[in-house]
Amino acid sequence: MHFRSLRFKLTLWYVLILGILLISFSGFLYFTLSKSLYRDVDEKLRSLAELIASESASPSSKFGFGTFDQALETSLNLRPIGKFIQVLDQSGNIGRKSDNLRNVQLPISLNALKNATKGSITFETNRALGNTPLRIITFPVIEDDHVTKIVQIASSLEEVEDALNTLFLILIIAVPLALMIAILGGQFLAHKALKPVDNITQTARMITSQNLNQRIAPVKMKDEISRLIETFNEMISRLDQSFRQVKQFSSDASHELKTPLTILKGEVEVTLRKERSLQEYQQTLKSNLEEINRMSQIVDDLLLLSRADGGEVGLNKEDINLSEIFNEVVTQMEMLAASRKLRLFASNHHQDIHMFGDALRIRELFINLIENGIKYTEQGGTIRVTLSKEYEPLGRNSPGGTEGEKEEFAKIVVSDTGIGIAEEDQERIFNRFFRVDKARSREEGGSGLGLSICKWIIEAHQGEIRVESELGKGSSFIVKLPLKLPPKLPLFHQ
Amino acid sequence: MRLLVIEDEKKVANFIKKGLEEEHYAVDNAYDGESGLYMAETNEYDLIVLDLMIPKIDGLEVLKRIRGNRNNVPILVLTAKDSVEDIVRGLDAGCDDYLTKPFEFLELLARVRALLRREKIDKEPILKIDDLTLSLVTHKVMRRGKEIELTGKEYALLEYFMRNPDKVLTRTMISEHVWDYHFDSMTNVVDVYVNYLRKKVDKGFEPKLIQTIRGVGYIMKKV
Repeated sequence: MHFRSLRFKLTLWYVLILGILLISFSGFLYFTLSKSLYRDVDEKLRSLAELIASESASPSSKFGFGTFDQALETSLNLRPIGKFIQVLDQSGNIGRKSDNLRNVQLPISLNALKNATKGSITFETNRALGNTPLRIITFPVIEDDHVTKIVQIASSLEEVEDALNTLFLILIIAVPLALMIAILGGQFLAHKALKPVDNITQTARMITSQNLNQRIAPVKMKDEISRLIETFNEMISRLDQSFRQVKQFSSDASHELKTPLTILKGEVEVTLRKERSLQEYQQTLKSNLEEINRMSQIVDDLLLLSRADGGEVGLNKEDINLSEIFNEVVTQMEMLAASRKLRLFASNHHQDIHMFGDALRIRELFINLIENGIKYTEQGGTIRVTLSKEYEPLGRNSPGGTEGEKEEFAKIVVSDTGIGIAEEDQERIFNRFFRVDKARSREEGGSGLGLSICKWIIEAHQGEIRVESELGKGSSFIVKLPLKLPPKLPLFHQ
Repeated sequence: MRLLVIEDEKKVANFIKKGLEEEHYAVDNAYDGESGLYMAETNEYDLIVLDLMIPKIDGLEVLKRIRGNRNNVPILVLTAKDSVEDIVRGLDAGCDDYLTKPFEFLELLARVRALLRREKIDKEPILKIDDLTLSLVTHKVMRRGKEIELTGKEYALLEYFMRNPDKVLTRTMISEHVWDYHFDSMTNVVDVYVNYLRKKVDKGFEPKLIQTIRGVGYIMKKV
């Protein structure tokens, strides 16, 4: 047994508490019992003494005739078994005494005699006669306000002492025995209670990243242990899920990088197999350059996202004018849309929407969203982009807001009349490397990470993004960005 | 030898086609599982190169369906999926060989040759009929110790004849195995090329190996 183990500690505390309880209970029992036994003896002595005293003082008594024992029997119908009785005169000289005293006499202490002459009762314990301790009462008989005689009665304390000794013996054996049993029982109980914990430890130790599909076997009882197991299993499930995601991500990432690598390698190898025309070499190099650019785009995006995951990308937040950035990006995108024979309509009612954000990232967000719309819309289609300012009662997103206060936010909607996104894909479009149309994404040179980056930028500005889409009809991306400005900056005025 | 390359990544498909054509194979491209499966079922290919992650019908499914139709065409899976599980799954689904991207083009060519050779009993990389030999590796054609220079199409035509000796080959069979999908079978190109080949292989040699079966096609006879 390890001294640091919970089992040891539990048993130790349990035994310690039980020990204190048992010892104090035993002490209390012994003490009260001995007190009551001695009091009992004293009570009996006193009542007998009172009886004898009143009888011997009574003038009509026949107490004076015959032997003392006979006198006791005839007048009081009393046989003093186990009691020694003697009657003294007021100066302490022996008068009559019971037969069982034979030639000895009960000792009387100076103190008792003095008390008796004053008229008060004295109890004493004396070991003068043999080994048996005696309890002696010295009781003055008062007649006409004078002490005339002294009655002394003694009772053996042997029985009382025997009883107390036996009790002491029982306790001195029983208490340690009970404690021993408690130690064994406690160990057993602690072992039984902690056994599932051991099992959990063993299973948990065996679970590595390789076998996260393992679970700790549940127990039938609904108790703390079963809750612990449940919690553990839930934790393993979450770990499993995130491991799976990481695995999926790295396999996706390696696949993304393998495709351009395959093209680079294959094209170069095929080209080098024989002498080519200058034009063919140029074509190969041009194609290679495209793939190299694609790879560096993927690597850049991946690096940004992984650094964002690690919280390493600092945002350079300042007071920015969303409307200005919006207008600039729209002008830039109009050219791209026109080259693809698409119409781009932009509406921006407020010319002055300020927010606290990173201008570079917000610009990237706008470009990504509008470019996506352009990429996935056929010739002749329409892209609509709006920027507006809306209010919403302060709610779950902003703790500390007072009642009735409204939160200002910018709403950016990018709608297209493109290919749309199937309902089952709508949740996944923000996942890394997820593409609705893989071939088209490749042709457009997309890294498959654009929307993931958008989502990160929006979340870094405490905003939210959602998509509404119908397959074949088009998609709308709706972005909300809260317009909280640091207090020192002048608030926007309409 | 006519090959089908089912690969959705256009640039990959293009360089494979180009490289294989330069080795005198006729190559068709399919860019998704659906059209790939259709082409595999409607044409007689000597080998199929198949990517696994392709749109519309997944590559593994294409593989299973081709095998489900009792089509034993050699299939080489060419994919970026490189885990042992993926390789085992692919081989168990019925592919004959598995090559992971990125790959050496030389290795792809060697594996294609090996798979095409598997059909034959002797696994020599040299085809031989009478005193005419054709090396599948170096593409050198010799008759009676003299090297014969052939164009790509002539070489492909001769290889097809030599792989199927003593068998009557119709014009359709020849066009299907030597030319790709874009070949117009209404023309007499087959006859023209057979004549070119005869001039180089049979002219000045005895016996004449390529013979015409009137109204049906041609035959190359083992003497």
